[in-house]
Amino acid sequence: MGGGGRKPRNFATFRLFPRAGATDPNDRVFIRVDNNDYSVPGFGDDEPYDPSLFQTDAAADHFSPTSGPLPEHVRREILELGLPDDGYNYLHHLRELRPTAATASSSFVPNQTAPPLPLDVKAYDASRVRIASGKAEDELDEGRTMCKVATKTAPVRRIERAVDPDIARLLDETDVFHGGSEGEGLEEDFVIMANRAEGDEEADDEDEEMVGDVFLSDVEEDEELKDDEGEPKQRVRRLLDEQFDLLALEEYGDSDDDNDGGVRDAECELPTEVIDELKLFHNQNVSVTEEYRTPADFVRGKLDMSTTEDVNESANVIQKCAEYAERYLNETAEEEVVPVSESSDESEMWDCETIVSTYSNLDNHPGKIQTPGNPKKRRLPKVFPGETAIVDIIKLHGKEKLPVEYLPQSKRNSGKEKKAKPAEAPSAEKFKKEVHKETKEEKKERKAAVKEEKREARKAKKELKGMYKFETQKAQKVAAVTGPASIRLM
Amino acid sequence: MAAAAVYGGMKGGKLGVEESHERQLNRIRITLSSKNVKNLEKVCADLVKGAKDKQLKVKGPVRIPTKVLHITTRKSPCGEGTNTWDRFEFRIHKRVIDLISSPDVVKQITSITIEPGVEVEVTIADV
Repeated sequence: MGGGGRKPRNFATFRLFPRAGATDPNDRVFIRVDNNDYSVPGFGDDEPYDPSLFQTDAAADHFSPTSGPLPEHVRREILELGLPDDGYNYLHHLRELRPTAATASSSFVPNQTAPPLPLDVKAYDASRVRIASGKAEDELDEGRTMCKVATKTAPVRRIERAVDPDIARLLDETDVFHGGSEGEGLEEDFVIMANRAEGDEEADDEDEEMVGDVFLSDVEEDEELKDDEGEPKQRVRRLLDEQFDLLALEEYGDSDDDNDGGVRDAECELPTEVIDELKLFHNQNVSVTEEYRTPADFVRGKLDMSTTEDVNESANVIQKCAEYAERYLNETAEEEVVPVSESSDESEMWDCETIVSTYSNLDNHPGKIQTPGNPKKRRLPKVFPGETAIVDIIKLHGKEKLPVEYLPQSKRNSGKEKKAKPAEAPSAEKFKKEVHKETKEEKKERKAAVKEEKREARKAKKELKGMYKFETQKAQKVAAVTGPASIRLM
Repeated sequence: MAAAAVYGGMKGGKLGVEESHERQLNRIRITLSSKNVKNLEKVCADLVKGAKDKQLKVKGPVRIPTKVLHITTRKSPCGEGTNTWDRFEFRIHKRVIDLISSPDVVKQITSITIEPGVEVEVTIADV
């Protein structure tokens, strides 16, 4: 264009841009985007300098630091912030905290609720728990509580009291119970004492002691049980308890009632028969603490303490064992089961069904017997290129199903081939007849002819292939614009 | 800029009696462009409404024909395969609103109507 006739550019253009460093896209400012000499008062062209808005060094340069006191509003703002009023504009160093992306994520607001505890963790409020302190000086403290020990525990939701009041109560009760058991509780060997009272007519003192020993080992466990069971009986006795006591008395005879309120004195009230059995059991020297003794040991007299009874018994046992063994052996000899195959005349004659049934399908794969059919009848009979009789079937060859013989370019080729092949057929025949009359030259000629044919065939094939590709590419180009991409052409 | 030529044509326009003595009136052209028609139309409507509320003379919104930018590329990263093509397009819609008012009023109006994706350009000229 030319320089003259240019219209005066009396306009200013502003564009809304998002403020730099602001996350909110709505926070935008007007920025001038042209270079004309037009100034607009309202759009920031000559706005009065506002130090709180323009915190840049460039802006600061405009405002020389040595020029008089700061404007009033600036001073007020500085004072409000708590900064000293010494003529320096501290607002330059301030940054407006906008919720930018950076600050929004980095500002730390401690959450009021602690994260919920995982399932395998339980929190207790132990602030009131008193810590026992052994030192004398600590007595001056009123008693240390967890509060003083751990003042920086994080507040936890769903806390429970460290000491459950119910459990505390129960624990206190047990304390009381144990405290008073020395005088009134169970004796360690109460069972023995009870048995002694019962079985005074027994001759052997040894036996009693041994019984006591044996019983002790059994009783220790029971005592522990008893202690646990005795605890709930400290509650108020009900009518039911009385009734039970009476019943127990009836059932188990008039045994001693050592324990007040004790109900389950199973050991004291063992029936006499049981006690006798136990004594026998002990007499048999089969206790675990001693050596393992077999009946044979008794018989051979290896023991010191064996009595005649023992020996006889052991001998008896051995004998019995021997008897049993013999009997077993004999029985098996006599009662042997012999599988006898029933052989009769009828079953001897095999018939085909039976024979076939004895075959296994693992080895034998039976199938239906059929007449052998003609294989592969489904294909149409091939039309040889030499045959001129059948021409009306249009063959589609190749992936694209093109009618090969009717394509424009290949027509002459197919014509050539058609001509060539019939020519070759009779020549082949000729040669077969006159094979002995062939000379070198004729042979050479023949070979050359064959080679030529092959070359031609190859060329034709290549051309056809190229044509195929060309056609499909053309079709593709059309399909790329019009058709959907689901159809694959090449 | 094209705005200059357009302004040349606009300068001859009548103003009317609405020229206020207190504040200076300018001819203001607001050009809104966006990819998104919906937002754009919304902003336009808001602007026009805001201006009408303030009894300003408003012209518009003038709809400039949409510019469609096409990008046609091969789908395949390599040369293999069927030659399929992607056709991408990018539509830019443009609306122009003319006002006659003082610049600070315009600043107010444009700060209220806020929509993401809409680009706002304000050209101020003498009346």
